[in-house]
Amino acid sequence: MKVLCAIVVAASLLVVGAAQANTVKLSVNGMVCAFCAQGIEKRLSKMPENGPLYINLKQKVVAIQAKPGKTIDVDKVKAEITEAGYDVVQVQTVPQTVAAIRAEMKAKK
Amino acid sequence: MVRRRLIGLGLALALGLCSGGALALPMGSKGEGMVMLDTSPDQRELAANFAVSTVDAWGVAVGRWSEPLHGVAAHERSREFVAATYTRRVQRWNLPHAQANVWLVGMVGQVRGQGLNSQRSLGSLAVMADYETTRVYVGAGLRPMRASGVRHDSTWLRGGFSFYEAEYDEVQPWFVLEAKRVNFGGSAKNEVTPMLRFIHKRVFVEIGGNRDGAQFNLMWSP
Repeated sequence: MKVLCAIVVAASLLVVGAAQANTVKLSVNGMVCAFCAQGIEKRLSKMPENGPLYINLKQKVVAIQAKPGKTIDVDKVKAEITEAGYDVVQVQTVPQTVAAIRAEMKAKK
Repeated sequence: MVRRRLIGLGLALALGLCSGGALALPMGSKGEGMVMLDTSPDQRELAANFAVSTVDAWGVAVGRWSEPLHGVAAHERSREFVAATYTRRVQRWNLPHAQANVWLVGMVGQVRGQGLNSQRSLGSLAVMADYETTRVYVGAGLRPMRASGVRHDSTWLRGGFSFYEAEYDEVQPWFVLEAKRVNFGGSAKNEVTPMLRFIHKRVFVEIGGNRDGAQFNLMWSP
């Protein structure tokens, strides 16, 4: 019984952890060309707390997921995107992983 | 990282190509380098620059062009130049589904060639503008290059469209048409060149051809 309870609790923690993926989703103006927007990817990939990254030009989305145990520095991410030459118009913290956002965007095509 | 950059630069040089066609993006973002190469039947140019800020880049360019001699059919003379360059992004508009830019590119250097008894100081101040979405591109520019007894003034207009939307990490193919006029002082040349453009994250390639021959433009960001 105790073992069963421990398994249920552990499984619940895993579900909650996945649902609370630390991901920031930004809406960025001016991203129309991959060659031009690759500066965003280069800059954000250098930040030590940043994990998986997704860029969608048509939907004008940049999504960054934090590495385990880390937190995204939103102000720094916005500054890096601005330094790359683009304008951040909206920022959201979302529970999805970057992989889930990518799948969702592909499904919308 | 350094090795990758050196290999890339070596590849670019080995291709022996030169560019004036870095029209879509004459500089990278702050802290980035850019190598630009073009070749066409009568002009070759190789340029590299480094963005020291979000709007300024310094670099160098070397090039060679052929121009028709006065009144002598099928005769040409060549010019070679080397120059320091400065690129300034004068204005950018980041719109919800488009981007527009105005650029200035200054060049100061030396030119030599047939008919010139010595090297001469060369200057240029180009102005370029572009507007693009993920499906449409329009660009125009004017680049006068002058030295004592030397004139190479280029004016161009480009327009194109992408065949389909592509994901950020996929290659996106485009069709681009360029109309260009080069004024050498006593003569001028007009060209219309259709091109295929392929854009990937780190590489931008254009392949085209007109009645004079093939044209190849390459931009690479290390």
